[in-house]
Amino acid sequence: MDSSRRDFLRTCGAGAAAWATTALIPGRFFRTESRAAELPPDRLLELSAFALERAKKAGASYADIRINRYRSQVVNLRSQPDFASGKVNHTPSVSDSESFGFGVRVLADGAWGFAASYVVKQDEIARAVGEAIETAKANAALRRQPVQLAPVPAYVELYRTQIAKDPFNVPVQQKLELLRSIADETKKVPGVFSVVGFIAQRMEHRYFASTDGSRIEQYVYQISPELTATAVDKGKKQKSRTYRPHPVTAGYEAVERANMLGEARRVGEEAVAHLKAPPVSPGKKDLVLLPTHLGLTIHESIGHSTELDRALGYEANFAGTSFLTTDKLGKFKVGSEIVNFNGDRIRPESLSTCGYDDDGVKTRQFPIIKSGIFVGYQTIRDQAHLIGQKESTGCCYADSYASVPFQRMPNVWLEPAKTPVQLSDLISGVDDGVLIDGRGSYSIDHQRYNFQFGGDAFWEIKHGKVGQQISDVAYNARTPDFWNACDGIGGEATWQNVGLNADGKGEPSQINAMSHGCAPSRFRQINVLRTG
Amino acid sequence: MGWTRQQAKALADQILSYSKARECEVALEELRAGYTRFAANDITTSGTSRTLNISVTSRDGRRSGTSHASDNDPSVLKSTVRRSEELMEASSEDNEYVEGLEPQKYPEIRAFYEETDNASAKDRAAGVKKAIDLSRSKGLEASGFLETISRWDAIANKKKNFGFHASTTTRFSNTMRTADGTGSGWAGTAGPRFGQIPTQALVERAARKAETSAGARDLAPGKYPVILEPAAVADLMGSLIQAMSRRAADEGRSFMSKPGGGNRIGEKLFADAVTIRSDPFDPRVPGRPWSGGGGGAGGRGGGLGFGGFGQNAGAGEPVRKVTWIEKGVVKTLSVDHHWAAKTKTPPIPFPGSLIMSGGSGSVEDLVAQTERGLLITHFFYIRTVNPQSVALTGLTRDGVWLVENGKIVHAVNNFRFNESPVNLLKNVDALSEAIPTAGGFGGGGMIMPGVRAKEFSFTSKSDAV
Repeated sequence: MDSSRRDFLRTCGAGAAAWATTALIPGRFFRTESRAAELPPDRLLELSAFALERAKKAGASYADIRINRYRSQVVNLRSQPDFASGKVNHTPSVSDSESFGFGVRVLADGAWGFAASYVVKQDEIARAVGEAIETAKANAALRRQPVQLAPVPAYVELYRTQIAKDPFNVPVQQKLELLRSIADETKKVPGVFSVVGFIAQRMEHRYFASTDGSRIEQYVYQISPELTATAVDKGKKQKSRTYRPHPVTAGYEAVERANMLGEARRVGEEAVAHLKAPPVSPGKKDLVLLPTHLGLTIHESIGHSTELDRALGYEANFAGTSFLTTDKLGKFKVGSEIVNFNGDRIRPESLSTCGYDDDGVKTRQFPIIKSGIFVGYQTIRDQAHLIGQKESTGCCYADSYASVPFQRMPNVWLEPAKTPVQLSDLISGVDDGVLIDGRGSYSIDHQRYNFQFGGDAFWEIKHGKVGQQISDVAYNARTPDFWNACDGIGGEATWQNVGLNADGKGEPSQINAMSHGCAPSRFRQINVLRTG
Repeated sequence: MGWTRQQAKALADQILSYSKARECEVALEELRAGYTRFAANDITTSGTSRTLNISVTSRDGRRSGTSHASDNDPSVLKSTVRRSEELMEASSEDNEYVEGLEPQKYPEIRAFYEETDNASAKDRAAGVKKAIDLSRSKGLEASGFLETISRWDAIANKKKNFGFHASTTTRFSNTMRTADGTGSGWAGTAGPRFGQIPTQALVERAARKAETSAGARDLAPGKYPVILEPAAVADLMGSLIQAMSRRAADEGRSFMSKPGGGNRIGEKLFADAVTIRSDPFDPRVPGRPWSGGGGGAGGRGGGLGFGGFGQNAGAGEPVRKVTWIEKGVVKTLSVDHHWAAKTKTPPIPFPGSLIMSGGSGSVEDLVAQTERGLLITHFFYIRTVNPQSVALTGLTRDGVWLVENGKIVHAVNNFRFNESPVNLLKNVDALSEAIPTAGGFGGGGMIMPGVRAKEFSFTSKSDAV
């Protein structure tokens, strides 16, 4: 427990007050406060105790309830010329969301049941518990083996993202003014057609209680600003350039330090240069991938392939399975010896970081690939025993009170080199290659073998030096071939905590966010395609 | 269990009564979902949810602000209206502002079926049992998803416009895999009526595909004639229709842009056999009586990102039948409210469903009439590579077979494609009967034929099965 948590618990006293709702809240910007925030502190305890007791009486061997509140706000501004007059039109779009409700999960007769509702009242909780039990019992008839849960200690804890400035207290006017000044600055570059900027922020106030005795309250803040400039050659082509400061779990300070205004001109200039850039000459080339690009490559090729639920076939009807089947654990060489990946939900500012997962498991760091060998899956409590493991790695998450918790990707990050390798060191070793920044079109097969990834901006590398900006680049590879072709990774100083705003999985589909920190890395002789 | 028209109207009126802004628009959505998910021949996660999405947009003639909530307590309703007004006051002037709609006359569309609304966990388990029983008996591994949704929607504004609609949806899809992982098959569909989902036929189809796709032989990538099953066609048509925006065309940002300016409405861009329309009154894929807009983000979703523009652009228009492409000729492009005012044309929202005219036989008949080609079950992970040409990339999934002299010869590996649906529709030379399909992984609202096309570009092999 860190000092802030200790202080909080001391202030509030032990027991029920430890998970009291505190000052989350709309606060200074909105004059109108929300009702959800006004729920009496011990009401959560009372309602959860009622739900768990009722579930046990109805025959549940395990139950948990999440009573969660979510806030999000997106401030967008699009600036582009008026069709008739050519004058720049600014189109703002401002929206704010709040949702509040509960989801109860039960194990009865060895099968799961779940029910959720937006009506957080005792009668409705009783109805939902009954429905969850009924669902579990209907399903139990078809299960061959009862669900088994890896054991967890009981936790009574409070977790809070460390933020300096609550983004919900920053006036919308201030955000729009920033976006407007960024748009004006970007539009000063001749040839820029449109500029789109946004600041998105989210807060989850999660309360979790289980029949294991845990009562966990968490406040998680996420924030993501972004700027995109587009240049258009009418009727022929359009190219864009995006500046995406890393989305993080943090407060508004992440927007302030991102220097969006300072980057605006460069973004505009590179959008126009992108439109004029000659297409790549396709063929086998060396690639130097910057963190803002490599993060999504990691997500698709390593992040998804090391999810245990995919390997077990749980996603076979939707997101797909994995080439990393359970027989490959501890043996299969996914990458070269310099390739080391970890999973975690504890790294400061990473998007998936929190104190406890939605199974009530304390989050941790765990190895996924060591010296190129596949050594670890992302797991949750009901899967661990299926691969002979005694505990979950803490990767359970539901994107709403109304969504059923299941295995979701944590932060999956690439370790930097142990020596101080610079980007220039990687580039100087390339005779004919491409330097790629940012995200483009991404597609990978359902077992995570064959991928084709584009980027946001490309420069040719000739004889160890970065040359002109080029366009229409994608590369196509097979995941293990690609990571085995990695022969250079930047050192600690070049490592960046890249964040991914949204990843979809599951039926009904759910969204989560996580980070894929990495340093610039080099890959030899990859198949480069021309897309335009 | 949900709202009656009167209850929805009362709630909307209550919300509007709190409004102090010049204009106020309300969208309400109450949703009850029940779902059963299965995998590895066992039921995995399943449950029910009851969610409410309330969206309030306040507008003052120049600016707007939107607030979402998930609770119908009067204090929450009041604070949601207040917040939207505070956001409006904080927002800047919108140069593309359009006035709210006067009262509209919305058509009645029957889309709510008690049989779906009443389907219980036991009813869903009985459907899933068909897949698991067949799979276990054949030594296959079944996974899939069966979901029922009941939904009550309303929209209202201060100008006394009001609309109400109740609907139900059932989605079923399943994937069967051989135990050794060398074969995989998929089948699925969606529709408003629980009792009309052909679960047994879909289970058998997925199993047959799994068995016959096992032991695929290597085939080099390249350009091949193809027979795309209806689900594969649906996967591609969603991207095509999204690209059919008149604004993007007029601004020179689309394949519908004419070099030098203007758009290509009236031009014949596709094969004679291609006719695509939308029909919200088709009982197989009934639409909502009005376009766009919805309860919004008050309910589910853990993402963090771009909120999009014009949530209400084109929203609230009474829906109607639209012909987008007729006998290969582009007839209509979608037009949002702002662009409609700008170009002095009526607004035409993006459709909620899509119907492509088909031929008379089955996909099997198409196979029988084909000299050489590849039969494709469906696609996966489709992304735009070049928005100007709607060039897409993606992969085949759950069964690809080589067809020669009217017969399936053997299964082949999966491929990555780089191709545009624009080219596909230019190259169409035969169609099977159009049927409801769950394209785009779990979607719905698509009635598509199997399509045979002279050429389709596969650029690399995929090892995935």
